[in-house]
Amino acid sequence: MQDDVLTQAKSLLKAYAGPPLKIMEVCGTHTHEIFRLGIRQLLPPSLRLISGPGCPVCVTPVSYIDEAIYLALEKDVLLTTFGDLLRVPGSKLSLAQARQKGAQVRMVYSPLDALAIAKQEKREVVFLSVGFETTVPGECLAIKAAEEEGIANFSLLCANKTMPNAYQALAGSADAFLYPGHVVAIAGTQCCEELVAKGISGVVAGFTATELLTALACIVHESAKQKPFFVNCYPRVVKASGNQAAQKLIADYMEACDSEWRGLGVIKGSGLTLKEPFQHRDARLRFAIPKQPGRANPHCRCGEVLKGNILPTACSVFGRACTPEHPIGACMVSSEGTCAAYFQYGQG
Amino acid sequence: MERTVLLAHGGGGVQTSELIDSVFKAHFANPYFTADDAAVLPLGQERLAFSTDGFIVSPPFFPGGNIGKLSICGTVNDLACMGACPLWLTCAFVLEEGFPLADLERIAKSMAETAKEAGVTVVAGDTKVASKGQVDKVFITTSGIGRLASNVKTSGALAKDGDAILVTGDIGRHGAAILLAREEFGIEAEITSDCAPLWHLVQAIISKTTDIHVIRDATRGGVGTVLYEIAAQSQLGIAIREADLPVDPKVSGICRMLGLDPLYLACEGRLVIIAPEKHKAQLLETLRALPHGEGAACIGYVANTLKAGSVVVETAIGGKTLLPRPTGELLPRIC
Repeated sequence: MQDDVLTQAKSLLKAYAGPPLKIMEVCGTHTHEIFRLGIRQLLPPSLRLISGPGCPVCVTPVSYIDEAIYLALEKDVLLTTFGDLLRVPGSKLSLAQARQKGAQVRMVYSPLDALAIAKQEKREVVFLSVGFETTVPGECLAIKAAEEEGIANFSLLCANKTMPNAYQALAGSADAFLYPGHVVAIAGTQCCEELVAKGISGVVAGFTATELLTALACIVHESAKQKPFFVNCYPRVVKASGNQAAQKLIADYMEACDSEWRGLGVIKGSGLTLKEPFQHRDARLRFAIPKQPGRANPHCRCGEVLKGNILPTACSVFGRACTPEHPIGACMVSSEGTCAAYFQYGQG
Repeated sequence: MERTVLLAHGGGGVQTSELIDSVFKAHFANPYFTADDAAVLPLGQERLAFSTDGFIVSPPFFPGGNIGKLSICGTVNDLACMGACPLWLTCAFVLEEGFPLADLERIAKSMAETAKEAGVTVVAGDTKVASKGQVDKVFITTSGIGRLASNVKTSGALAKDGDAILVTGDIGRHGAAILLAREEFGIEAEITSDCAPLWHLVQAIISKTTDIHVIRDATRGGVGTVLYEIAAQSQLGIAIREADLPVDPKVSGICRMLGLDPLYLACEGRLVIIAPEKHKAQLLETLRALPHGEGAACIGYVANTLKAGSVVVETAIGGKTLLPRPTGELLPRIC
């Protein structure tokens, strides 16, 4: 059955003879899987897949890394972070390099692990809170537990992002979006349906070969009707109402704010920050972090890559000065970054 | 900034090679110095294989084995990969002050049992104790000498166009077992390490044919790292078929959750064997009849039509993509 669906989707895509279509995926795991499965080679040249800002590490601005390093080196804070952030270059140093200068930086797999460290430590512990709707509920849970258990030395440095306004900022870059399966599973499909009224098309996709190819085939099929569309192509996980328990957690602890995206600039209402009753756990306020310069390496073109304007291979430092071992830009750091995927899977 | 040793230098990937080339090779260069698992040394009419390996696994006890069993298997398998019958082993212990003697006893017992299974004798050792905190519980280094079977010559450099690539069982199980045993992820699954001594497999296949080009044990860095090393040494391309890779469903589940590739998880009881296609069926039949070889499979081929030094994956849905190169530490993805 799965095989039949896969074969049908493959032949439908292969036979596509309509006008050129640009399809943008906005999920790091989609980017990674599309490369890993070799999906681009199954498509005719008229169907172009472009990678948008789907990796939380990649969209985090340089100034955020600078803020974190300031906390560690100037305020003697113990930083806790997801592993991917360690090697992202700041204006002068990455967190990994700051660690060699004496900064205390520990890698954790969950914000609750960071809270567990705070319980054992006397000094201040800050968790680097990045990520989309999928990651935020865990961060809210850590704040909830810290409040309930009275753990005073724990706070978040927030750079969380939400997708809805980013789609509008990116609307001109693609003919249709491949919406991120897990983000929509949390947030629900309402946002995607509302985008149809604004002329923005897309389908929400899962992560297996069959799910990805079916979603692409669905885009091709719907595009022929020449009007904006939304289809849930990941119904086994995505429900229209989303995950309401997670949504409630977010609503209880966080509120929307303007947020800077690497390459896209500040997008109105596209970030999340702690609500007023919990602002004593906002590291930015708690430590009165001065504004950081956030100077990216001038050769790095991650910003244009994230908007889908250029392919990584068009960047002059790609694969030469900028490699996964020695990254210059954020998109080369995370395995979900577009530049890292192009480098590692050797496609262009 | 001052250059320092990074964890990634010990990951078995590109950075490990860089460290070996820039520091050790630069100072130790000699005609016998080798990139293979063991050095081959002439002694009269005989040829000996000589190998050494250090073990620092954390935790020291894990499902399917412990650091002691691992230290015997590691060196035995390095010798076996050269086509050498393992004969004698030495072992050096570095113990942390406060380490329970009962645990040391368990480790020694399992080393003796594994040595017996592998047909080797532990003939000398050394014991050092470091004060608390200077080492993590117990580190073991084993060295071993083996006698090379005549007519067998294997090396990554000897892979040939058209050769078949075999593995002796499902891949990535040791790495997955260790990740879970560290209890950092809150994931529970019954995955046991594949840790095992493998000379009997090598002995069986070379008794069928000595026309075997490469035998490697896929330890740190996994099968993916070994394939890249062979592609580089032979200056040929390698293709593997995703659909033919034997992976335990529990291991592939863990990998999907943590964003890891089973091709880059360590094995401690798996060989990669490269031999002419015409021997494939006989080799698979021989391996599958033996303990630790039941899951043997052909996973791909060597080709001069592919870019030299590259490893290509033919995906299950008919795509073709480069296998990402191994890089440093395995960091889980964040979403």
